[in-house]
Amino acid sequence: MNTHNYILQVHGLNIYYGSFHAVRDVSFDVLPGEIFGLLGPNGAGKTSTLSAVEGLLKPQSGSIVVAGNDINKKPLHAKAAIGVQLQATSFQSELTVSEILQLYAGIYGMSMSREKIFSILKNIKLEESSGRKFGQLSGGQQQRLSLAIAVLHEPRLVLLDEPTSGLDPQSRRQLWERMESMREKGHSVLLTTHSMEEAEAVCDRIAIIDHGRVIATDTPQSLMDSNKTNPEVIAASRRGKITLEDVFIGLTGKAIRS
Amino acid sequence: METIPKTSTALSSLLRADLVTQWRNRRSFILLLLVPIIILISWKGIIEKFGGPFALSTCITIGLVAIGLMGYSNTVARDREKGIFQRLRVAPMPAWCIMASRLLIQLMMIVLLTTTIFIAGNNIDHIKLSPSGYIISFLTAVVGGAVYLGLGQLIVGLIQNPETVNSTSRLTYFLFIMIGMFGELGVLGDQIKEIVLWSPYGTVKRIIAAGMQPGTWNQETTTALLLTIAYAAVFSFIGIKKFKWNNK
Repeated sequence: MNTHNYILQVHGLNIYYGSFHAVRDVSFDVLPGEIFGLLGPNGAGKTSTLSAVEGLLKPQSGSIVVAGNDINKKPLHAKAAIGVQLQATSFQSELTVSEILQLYAGIYGMSMSREKIFSILKNIKLEESSGRKFGQLSGGQQQRLSLAIAVLHEPRLVLLDEPTSGLDPQSRRQLWERMESMREKGHSVLLTTHSMEEAEAVCDRIAIIDHGRVIATDTPQSLMDSNKTNPEVIAASRRGKITLEDVFIGLTGKAIRS
Repeated sequence: METIPKTSTALSSLLRADLVTQWRNRRSFILLLLVPIIILISWKGIIEKFGGPFALSTCITIGLVAIGLMGYSNTVARDREKGIFQRLRVAPMPAWCIMASRLLIQLMMIVLLTTTIFIAGNNIDHIKLSPSGYIISFLTAVVGGAVYLGLGQLIVGLIQNPETVNSTSRLTYFLFIMIGMFGELGVLGDQIKEIVLWSPYGTVKRIIAAGMQPGTWNQETTTALLLTIAYAAVFSFIGIKKFKWNNK
Protein backbone atom coordinates (compact mmCIF):
# COMPACT_ATOMS: atom_id res chain seq x y z
CA MET A 1 0.00 0.00 0.00
CA ASN A 2 1.39 3.42 -0.95
CA THR A 3 1.13 5.56 2.18
CA HIS A 4 1.17 8.77 0.15
CA ASN A 5 -2.16 7.93 -1.47
CA TYR A 6 -3.82 8.79 1.81
CA ILE A 7 -3.68 12.11 3.56
CA LEU A 8 -4.42 10.43 6.89
CA GLN A 9 -3.91 6.85 7.99
CA VAL A 10 -5.01 5.72 11.42
CA HIS A 11 -4.16 2.15 12.22
CA GLY A 12 -4.82 0.02 15.32
CA LEU A 13 -5.36 3.03 17.60
CA ASN A 14 -5.86 2.28 21.30
CA ILE A 15 -6.42 4.92 23.95
CA TYR A 16 -6.90 4.29 27.66
CA TYR A 17 -7.91 6.70 30.44
CA GLY A 18 -6.62 4.81 33.44
CA SER A 19 -8.29 1.42 33.18
CA PHE A 20 -11.01 2.70 30.82
CA HIS A 21 -10.41 1.56 27.23
CA ALA A 22 -11.80 4.57 25.33
CA VAL A 23 -10.60 3.80 21.80
CA ARG A 24 -10.26 0.17 20.73
CA ASP A 25 -8.19 -0.78 17.73
CA VAL A 26 -9.57 2.03 15.55
CA SER A 27 -8.39 2.13 11.92
CA PHE A 28 -9.48 4.32 9.02
CA ASP A 29 -7.97 6.32 6.16
CA VAL A 30 -8.81 9.66 4.61
CA LEU A 31 -8.18 10.33 0.93
CA PRO A 32 -7.05 13.63 -0.55
CA GLY A 33 -10.04 15.90 -1.22
CA GLU A 34 -12.36 13.76 0.86
CA ILE A 35 -14.73 14.81 3.64
CA PHE A 36 -14.68 12.01 6.18
CA GLY A 37 -17.08 11.99 9.11
CA LEU A 38 -16.67 10.29 12.47
CA LEU A 39 -20.09 9.58 13.93
CA GLY A 40 -20.86 8.16 17.30
CA PRO A 41 -22.93 8.63 20.46
CA ASN A 42 -21.56 10.68 23.38
CA GLY A 43 -18.47 9.06 24.85
CA ALA A 44 -17.99 6.75 21.85
CA GLY A 45 -14.36 7.83 21.36
CA LYS A 46 -14.69 10.38 18.51
CA THR A 47 -12.99 13.28 20.24
CA SER A 48 -10.31 11.03 21.73
CA THR A 49 -9.51 9.73 18.24
CA LEU A 50 -9.42 13.26 16.86
CA SER A 51 -7.24 14.46 19.78
CA ALA A 52 -4.73 11.73 18.98
CA VAL A 53 -4.65 12.83 15.32
CA GLU A 54 -4.16 16.44 16.47
CA GLY A 55 -1.22 15.33 18.61
CA LEU A 56 -2.94 16.44 21.84
CA LEU A 57 -3.17 12.93 23.20
CA LYS A 58 -0.62 10.12 23.03
CA PRO A 59 -2.25 6.80 22.23
CA GLN A 60 -1.06 3.68 24.05
CA SER A 61 -0.69 1.86 20.74
CA GLY A 62 -1.37 2.27 17.04
CA SER A 63 -0.04 4.58 14.38
CA ILE A 64 -1.19 7.87 12.90
CA VAL A 65 0.36 9.11 9.69
CA VAL A 66 -0.54 12.58 8.39
CA ALA A 67 0.62 13.41 4.86
CA GLY A 68 3.35 10.80 5.17
CA ASN A 69 4.50 12.00 8.61
CA ASP A 70 4.13 9.76 11.65
CA ILE A 71 2.62 11.93 14.41
CA ASN A 72 4.93 10.35 17.02
CA LYS A 73 8.14 10.47 15.00
CA LYS A 74 7.65 13.79 13.20
CA PRO A 75 5.01 15.62 15.24
CA LEU A 76 5.81 19.10 13.97
CA HIS A 77 5.78 18.03 10.30
CA ALA A 78 2.45 16.26 10.87
CA LYS A 79 1.02 19.30 12.68
CA ALA A 80 2.17 21.59 9.87
CA ALA A 81 0.00 19.54 7.49
CA ILE A 82 -3.17 19.90 9.56
CA GLY A 83 -5.52 22.75 10.39
CA VAL A 84 -7.66 22.35 13.47
CA GLN A 85 -10.94 23.68 14.75
CA LEU A 86 -11.43 22.43 18.28
CA GLN A 87 -14.80 21.74 19.89
CA ALA A 88 -14.40 24.64 22.31
CA THR A 89 -13.34 27.52 20.11
CA SER A 90 -11.12 29.77 22.12
CA PHE A 91 -8.57 32.43 21.57
CA GLN A 92 -7.36 35.10 23.94
CA SER A 93 -10.46 37.21 24.57
CA GLU A 94 -8.33 40.37 25.01
CA LEU A 95 -6.94 40.15 21.46
CA THR A 96 -8.70 41.65 18.48
CA VAL A 97 -9.70 39.62 15.43
CA SER A 98 -6.79 40.93 13.35
CA GLU A 99 -4.32 40.37 16.22
CA ILE A 100 -5.43 36.75 16.47
CA LEU A 101 -4.93 36.32 12.72
CA GLN A 102 -1.46 37.85 13.01
CA LEU A 103 -0.61 35.61 15.96
CA TYR A 104 -1.49 32.41 14.12
CA ALA A 105 0.09 33.61 10.87
CA GLY A 106 3.31 34.12 12.85
CA ILE A 107 3.04 30.71 14.48
CA TYR A 108 2.68 29.13 11.03
CA GLY A 109 5.60 31.20 9.74
CA MET A 110 3.52 33.35 7.40
CA SER A 111 3.68 37.09 6.88
CA MET A 112 0.33 38.79 7.00
CA SER A 113 -0.19 42.19 5.38
CA ARG A 114 -3.17 44.42 6.19
CA GLU A 115 -4.57 43.68 2.74
CA LYS A 116 -4.31 39.94 3.32
CA ILE A 117 -6.02 40.24 6.72
CA PHE A 118 -8.79 42.32 5.16
CA SER A 119 -9.26 39.78 2.38
CA ILE A 120 -9.53 36.88 4.85
CA LEU A 121 -11.97 38.80 7.03
CA LYS A 122 -14.02 39.83 4.01
CA ASN A 123 -14.22 36.21 2.97
CA ILE A 124 -15.75 35.29 6.33
CA LYS A 125 -17.84 38.48 6.52
CA LEU A 126 -15.94 39.86 9.47
CA GLU A 127 -14.23 42.77 7.71
CA GLU A 128 -15.95 45.28 9.97
CA SER A 129 -14.93 43.38 13.09
CA SER A 130 -11.16 43.40 12.62
CA GLY A 131 -10.71 45.73 15.61
CA ARG A 132 -13.20 43.91 17.83
CA LYS A 133 -11.98 41.68 20.59
CA PHE A 134 -12.59 37.95 20.23
CA GLY A 135 -14.72 37.94 23.40
CA GLN A 136 -17.10 40.46 21.81
CA LEU A 137 -17.93 38.27 18.79
CA SER A 138 -21.08 36.17 18.54
CA GLY A 139 -20.85 32.36 18.56
CA GLY A 140 -21.24 32.16 14.78
CA GLN A 141 -18.61 34.85 14.21
CA GLN A 142 -16.18 33.08 16.55
CA GLN A 143 -16.78 29.83 14.66
CA ARG A 144 -16.11 31.50 11.29
CA LEU A 145 -12.90 33.06 12.58
CA SER A 146 -11.82 29.75 14.06
CA LEU A 147 -12.34 28.00 10.74
CA ALA A 148 -10.48 30.76 8.86
CA ILE A 149 -7.53 30.27 11.21
CA ALA A 150 -7.69 26.50 10.78
CA VAL A 151 -7.17 26.89 7.02
CA LEU A 152 -4.87 29.94 7.20
CA HIS A 153 -1.76 27.95 6.19
CA GLU A 154 -3.57 25.96 3.47
CA PRO A 155 -3.31 22.64 5.32
CA ARG A 156 -3.77 19.39 3.46
CA LEU A 157 -6.01 18.03 6.22
CA VAL A 158 -8.57 20.03 8.20
CA LEU A 159 -9.86 18.57 11.47
CA LEU A 160 -13.22 19.82 12.69
CA ASP A 161 -14.59 18.69 16.03
CA GLU A 162 -18.39 19.09 16.04
CA PRO A 163 -18.09 22.32 14.04
CA THR A 164 -21.80 23.06 13.74
CA SER A 165 -22.93 22.36 17.28
CA GLY A 166 -24.73 25.41 18.65
CA LEU A 167 -24.97 27.15 15.28
CA ASP A 168 -28.20 28.44 13.75
CA PRO A 169 -29.36 26.86 10.45
CA GLN A 170 -27.96 29.73 8.36
CA SER A 171 -24.51 29.50 9.92
CA ARG A 172 -24.61 25.71 9.63
CA ARG A 173 -25.42 25.85 5.91
CA GLN A 174 -22.66 28.41 5.42
CA LEU A 175 -20.18 26.13 7.17
CA TRP A 176 -21.18 23.20 4.99
CA GLU A 177 -20.55 25.35 1.93
CA ARG A 178 -17.12 26.23 3.29
CA MET A 179 -16.33 22.56 3.83
CA GLU A 180 -17.37 21.79 0.27
CA SER A 181 -15.25 24.64 -1.01
CA MET A 182 -12.29 23.22 0.95
CA ARG A 183 -12.87 19.89 -0.74
CA GLU A 184 -12.94 21.58 -4.14
CA LYS A 185 -9.57 23.14 -3.35
CA GLY A 186 -8.18 19.69 -2.59
CA HIS A 187 -8.16 19.87 1.20
CA SER A 188 -9.29 16.78 3.06
CA VAL A 189 -11.64 17.21 6.00
CA LEU A 190 -12.05 14.93 9.00
CA LEU A 191 -15.00 15.95 11.12
CA THR A 192 -16.81 14.58 14.11
CA THR A 193 -20.50 15.20 14.32
CA HIS A 194 -23.70 14.15 16.03
CA SER A 195 -25.78 15.42 13.14
CA MET A 196 -26.89 12.74 10.68
CA GLU A 197 -28.20 15.52 8.44
CA GLU A 198 -24.70 16.99 8.32
CA ALA A 199 -23.08 13.64 7.68
CA GLU A 200 -25.46 12.96 4.81
CA ALA A 201 -25.14 16.46 3.40
CA VAL A 202 -21.36 16.85 3.30
CA CYS A 203 -19.49 13.63 4.07
CA ASP A 204 -18.12 11.47 1.26
CA ARG A 205 -17.54 8.62 3.71
CA ILE A 206 -18.31 8.09 7.34
CA ALA A 207 -17.15 5.81 10.12
CA ILE A 208 -19.57 4.98 12.93
CA ILE A 209 -17.82 4.56 16.27
CA ASP A 210 -19.43 2.97 19.29
CA HIS A 211 -17.85 1.96 22.59
CA GLY A 212 -14.48 2.93 21.15
CA ARG A 213 -14.73 0.65 18.08
CA VAL A 214 -15.38 1.45 14.44
CA ILE A 215 -18.48 -0.58 13.67
CA ALA A 216 -19.08 0.56 10.10
CA THR A 217 -17.24 2.56 7.43
CA ASP A 218 -18.71 3.51 4.06
CA THR A 219 -20.46 6.23 2.10
CA PRO A 220 -23.71 7.40 3.71
CA GLN A 221 -25.74 5.97 0.81
CA SER A 222 -23.96 2.58 0.91
CA LEU A 223 -24.51 2.37 4.66
CA MET A 224 -28.23 2.95 4.16
CA ASP A 225 -28.41 0.48 1.28
CA SER A 226 -26.47 -2.28 3.03
CA ASN A 227 -28.51 -1.97 6.24
CA LYS A 228 -32.01 -1.70 4.78
CA THR A 229 -32.78 -5.31 5.67
CA ASN A 230 -31.13 -5.19 9.11
CA PRO A 231 -34.01 -5.87 11.58
CA GLU A 232 -32.59 -3.44 14.17
CA VAL A 233 -32.37 -0.69 11.58
CA ILE A 234 -35.92 -1.42 10.40
CA ALA A 235 -37.10 -1.32 14.02
CA ALA A 236 -35.42 2.06 14.44
CA SER A 237 -37.06 3.45 11.29
CA ARG A 238 -39.81 5.99 12.01
CA ARG A 239 -40.95 6.97 8.53
CA GLY A 240 -40.85 3.76 6.55
CA LYS A 241 -37.86 4.95 4.51
CA ILE A 242 -34.44 4.05 5.97
CA THR A 243 -32.40 7.13 6.86
CA LEU A 244 -28.81 7.45 8.05
CA GLU A 245 -30.17 8.16 11.52
CA ASP A 246 -32.06 4.85 11.45
CA VAL A 247 -28.85 3.06 10.50
CA PHE A 248 -27.01 4.86 13.29
CA ILE A 249 -29.66 4.04 15.92
CA GLY A 250 -29.95 0.49 14.60
CA LEU A 251 -26.21 -0.08 14.88
CA THR A 252 -25.51 1.78 18.14
CA GLY A 253 -28.76 1.13 20.02
CA LYS A 254 -31.47 3.34 21.51
CA ALA A 255 -29.98 3.68 24.97
CA ILE A 256 -29.02 7.25 25.91
CA ARG A 257 -25.28 7.67 26.56
CA SER A 258 -23.72 9.90 29.16
CA MET B 1 7.05 17.49 2.82
CA GLU B 2 5.62 20.21 5.06
CA THR B 3 7.93 23.03 6.14
CA ILE B 4 8.02 23.72 9.85
CA PRO B 5 8.00 27.39 10.80
CA LYS B 6 11.01 28.66 12.74
CA THR B 7 10.63 28.33 16.51
CA SER B 8 11.97 31.87 16.95
CA THR B 9 9.22 33.25 14.67
CA ALA B 10 6.51 31.36 16.55
CA LEU B 11 7.94 32.46 19.91
CA SER B 12 8.11 36.11 18.91
CA SER B 13 4.48 36.00 17.68
CA LEU B 14 3.39 34.44 20.96
CA LEU B 15 5.40 36.96 22.93
CA ARG B 16 3.78 39.85 21.07
CA ALA B 17 0.30 38.45 21.71
CA ASP B 18 1.04 37.79 25.40
CA LEU B 19 2.43 41.29 25.77
CA VAL B 20 -0.71 42.81 24.24
CA THR B 21 -2.85 40.65 26.55
CA GLN B 22 -0.80 41.76 29.56
CA TRP B 23 -1.08 45.41 28.50
CA ARG B 24 -4.86 45.13 28.14
CA ASN B 25 -4.94 43.64 31.66
CA ARG B 26 -2.71 46.37 33.05
CA ARG B 27 -5.26 47.38 35.67
CA SER B 28 -4.81 44.09 37.49
CA PHE B 29 -1.02 44.53 37.43
CA ILE B 30 -1.37 48.06 38.82
CA LEU B 31 -3.51 46.63 41.63
CA LEU B 32 -0.77 44.05 42.35
CA LEU B 33 1.69 46.93 42.65
CA LEU B 34 -0.53 48.92 45.00
CA VAL B 35 0.03 46.78 48.14
CA PRO B 36 3.84 47.06 48.16
CA ILE B 37 3.69 50.78 47.31
CA ILE B 38 1.20 51.44 50.12
CA ILE B 39 3.43 49.52 52.54
CA LEU B 40 6.42 51.55 51.40
CA ILE B 41 4.58 54.84 51.90
CA SER B 42 3.17 53.89 55.30
CA TRP B 43 6.38 52.40 56.75
CA LYS B 44 8.31 55.55 57.59
CA GLY B 45 8.96 54.40 61.15
CA ILE B 46 10.14 50.96 60.06
CA ILE B 47 12.56 52.49 57.57
CA GLU B 48 14.09 54.63 60.32
CA LYS B 49 14.35 51.61 62.63
CA PHE B 50 15.42 48.79 60.25
CA GLY B 51 16.82 50.72 57.29
CA GLY B 52 15.86 51.29 53.64
CA PRO B 53 16.93 47.86 52.27
CA PHE B 54 14.65 46.14 54.84
CA ALA B 55 11.62 48.09 53.60
CA LEU B 56 12.49 47.82 49.91
CA SER B 57 13.19 44.07 50.10
CA THR B 58 9.90 43.52 51.95
CA CYS B 59 7.96 45.45 49.31
CA ILE B 60 9.69 43.67 46.41
CA THR B 61 9.06 40.27 48.04
CA ILE B 62 5.37 41.07 48.51
CA GLY B 63 5.18 42.17 44.86
CA LEU B 64 6.89 38.96 43.72
CA VAL B 65 4.43 36.86 45.73
CA ALA B 66 1.58 38.75 44.04
CA ILE B 67 3.02 38.28 40.52
CA GLY B 68 3.56 34.54 40.96
CA LEU B 69 0.41 33.70 42.87
CA MET B 70 -2.21 36.23 41.83
CA GLY B 71 -0.96 37.02 38.32
CA TYR B 72 0.70 33.99 36.76
CA SER B 73 -1.32 31.15 38.29
CA ASN B 74 -4.69 32.78 37.66
CA THR B 75 -3.89 33.64 34.05
CA VAL B 76 -2.68 30.11 33.33
CA ALA B 77 -5.73 28.57 35.04
CA ARG B 78 -8.11 30.84 33.10
CA ASP B 79 -6.47 30.21 29.72
CA ARG B 80 -6.38 26.48 30.35
CA GLU B 81 -10.10 26.52 31.17
CA LYS B 82 -10.85 28.41 27.95
CA GLY B 83 -8.89 25.92 25.84
CA ILE B 84 -6.37 28.51 24.65
CA PHE B 85 -3.42 26.21 25.35
CA GLN B 86 -4.99 23.33 23.44
CA ARG B 87 -5.50 25.57 20.42
CA LEU B 88 -1.85 26.60 20.54
CA ARG B 89 -0.63 23.04 21.08
CA VAL B 90 -2.05 21.84 17.77
CA ALA B 91 0.22 24.29 15.96
CA PRO B 92 3.60 23.13 14.62
CA MET B 93 5.77 24.54 17.40
CA PRO B 94 7.31 22.98 20.51
CA ALA B 95 4.96 23.16 23.52
CA TRP B 96 7.67 24.80 25.65
CA CYS B 97 7.28 27.96 23.53
CA ILE B 98 3.83 28.55 25.05
CA MET B 99 5.15 28.62 28.61
CA ALA B 100 8.46 30.30 27.68
CA SER B 101 6.50 33.25 26.31
CA ARG B 102 4.40 33.46 29.49
CA LEU B 103 7.50 33.31 31.70
CA LEU B 104 9.29 36.01 29.70
CA ILE B 105 6.31 38.30 30.26
CA GLN B 106 6.46 37.53 34.01
CA LEU B 107 10.17 38.30 33.96
CA MET B 108 9.38 41.70 32.50
CA MET B 109 6.78 42.21 35.22
CA ILE B 110 9.40 41.39 37.89
CA VAL B 111 11.81 43.95 36.42
CA LEU B 112 9.00 46.51 36.20
CA LEU B 113 7.95 45.85 39.80
CA THR B 114 11.52 46.14 41.11
CA THR B 115 12.11 49.34 39.15
CA THR B 116 8.85 50.86 40.42
CA ILE B 117 9.73 50.03 44.04
CA PHE B 118 13.21 51.52 43.60
CA ILE B 119 11.77 54.71 42.07
CA ALA B 120 9.12 54.98 44.81
CA GLY B 121 11.75 54.30 47.50
CA ASN B 122 13.99 56.97 46.09
CA ASN B 123 11.30 59.61 45.59
CA ILE B 124 9.20 59.00 48.70
CA ASP B 125 11.70 57.77 51.30
CA HIS B 126 14.98 58.93 49.71
CA ILE B 127 16.41 55.40 49.80
CA LYS B 128 19.46 55.27 47.56
CA LEU B 129 21.59 52.23 46.72
CA SER B 130 24.99 51.85 45.09
CA PRO B 131 25.03 50.93 41.38
CA SER B 132 26.16 47.38 42.27
CA GLY B 133 23.36 47.26 44.86
CA TYR B 134 20.79 48.01 42.15
CA ILE B 135 22.24 45.47 39.73
CA ILE B 136 22.48 42.63 42.29
CA SER B 137 18.99 43.45 43.59
CA PHE B 138 17.55 43.03 40.09
CA LEU B 139 19.26 39.64 39.81
CA THR B 140 18.13 38.46 43.24
CA ALA B 141 14.59 39.70 42.50
CA VAL B 142 14.55 37.52 39.38
CA VAL B 143 15.80 34.51 41.39
CA GLY B 144 13.22 35.25 44.10
CA GLY B 145 10.51 35.69 41.47
CA ALA B 146 11.28 32.18 40.22
CA VAL B 147 10.23 30.79 43.64
CA TYR B 148 6.77 32.35 43.43
CA LEU B 149 6.32 31.56 39.74
CA GLY B 150 7.24 27.99 40.70
CA LEU B 151 4.69 28.14 43.53
CA GLY B 152 2.09 29.48 41.06
CA GLN B 153 2.96 26.61 38.72
CA LEU B 154 2.59 24.18 41.62
CA ILE B 155 -0.92 25.51 42.33
CA VAL B 156 -2.07 25.20 38.69
CA GLY B 157 -0.36 21.82 38.52
CA LEU B 158 -2.22 20.44 41.50
CA ILE B 159 -5.55 22.23 41.03
CA GLN B 160 -7.58 22.17 37.81
CA ASN B 161 -10.59 24.38 38.58
CA PRO B 162 -9.77 28.06 37.88
CA GLU B 163 -12.00 29.28 40.72
CA THR B 164 -10.26 26.98 43.19
CA VAL B 165 -6.91 28.15 41.82
CA ASN B 166 -8.04 31.74 42.38
CA SER B 167 -9.14 31.20 45.97
CA THR B 168 -6.10 29.04 46.81
CA SER B 169 -3.66 31.57 45.39
CA ARG B 170 -5.38 34.42 47.27
CA LEU B 171 -5.28 32.47 50.52
CA THR B 172 -1.61 31.53 50.00
CA TYR B 173 -0.80 35.17 49.17
CA PHE B 174 -2.54 36.38 52.32
CA LEU B 175 -0.79 33.76 54.48
CA PHE B 176 2.62 34.57 53.01
CA ILE B 177 2.19 38.30 53.54
CA MET B 178 0.71 38.18 57.03
CA ILE B 179 2.88 35.41 58.48
CA GLY B 180 5.93 36.62 56.57
CA MET B 181 5.73 40.27 57.59
CA PHE B 182 4.57 39.85 61.17
CA GLY B 183 6.54 36.67 61.75
CA GLU B 184 9.74 38.31 60.61
CA LEU B 185 9.22 41.19 63.04
CA GLY B 186 8.82 38.66 65.89
CA VAL B 187 5.18 39.55 66.55
CA LEU B 188 4.15 35.86 66.26
CA GLY B 189 6.89 34.52 68.55
CA ASP B 190 10.50 33.40 68.18
CA GLN B 191 9.71 29.98 66.74
CA ILE B 192 7.60 31.45 63.93
CA LYS B 193 10.28 34.08 63.35
CA GLU B 194 12.89 31.33 62.82
CA ILE B 195 10.56 29.39 60.48
CA VAL B 196 9.78 32.53 58.47
CA LEU B 197 13.48 33.32 58.08
CA TRP B 198 14.06 30.02 56.25
CA SER B 199 10.69 29.91 54.48
CA PRO B 200 10.36 30.92 50.79
CA TYR B 201 9.30 34.37 52.06
CA GLY B 202 12.29 34.78 54.35
CA THR B 203 15.01 33.47 52.03
CA VAL B 204 13.80 35.58 49.10
CA LYS B 205 13.58 38.68 51.24
CA ARG B 206 17.01 38.02 52.72
CA ILE B 207 18.80 37.65 49.37
CA ILE B 208 17.10 40.75 47.98
CA ALA B 209 18.03 42.80 51.07
CA ALA B 210 21.63 41.54 50.96
CA GLY B 211 21.78 42.24 47.23
CA MET B 212 20.99 45.90 47.97
CA GLN B 213 24.04 46.11 50.23
CA PRO B 214 26.54 43.69 48.66
CA GLY B 215 28.95 44.31 51.55
CA THR B 216 26.57 42.60 53.98
CA TRP B 217 26.39 39.36 51.94
CA ASN B 218 27.59 36.54 54.22
CA GLN B 219 27.47 32.76 54.61
CA GLU B 220 23.84 32.84 55.79
CA THR B 221 22.85 34.82 52.70
CA THR B 222 24.54 32.24 50.47
CA THR B 223 22.62 29.49 52.30
CA ALA B 224 19.43 31.51 51.77
CA LEU B 225 20.26 31.83 48.05
CA LEU B 226 20.82 28.09 47.71
CA LEU B 227 17.60 27.41 49.59
CA THR B 228 15.76 29.88 47.32
CA ILE B 229 17.03 28.06 44.23
CA ALA B 230 16.02 24.74 45.81
CA TYR B 231 12.49 26.04 46.57
CA ALA B 232 12.15 27.28 42.97
CA ALA B 233 13.39 23.95 41.58
CA VAL B 234 11.13 21.79 43.76
CA PHE B 235 7.99 23.90 43.20
CA SER B 236 8.60 24.09 39.45
CA PHE B 237 9.44 20.39 39.12
CA ILE B 238 6.24 19.25 40.85
CA GLY B 239 4.19 21.99 39.16
CA ILE B 240 5.39 21.04 35.67
CA LYS B 241 5.12 17.29 36.32
CA LYS B 242 1.55 17.55 37.56
CA PHE B 243 0.46 20.18 35.03
CA LYS B 244 -2.27 19.27 32.56
CA TRP B 245 -2.83 21.39 29.47
CA ASN B 246 -6.59 20.97 29.61
CA ASN B 247 -9.23 20.58 32.29
CA LYS B 248 -10.92 17.52 30.88
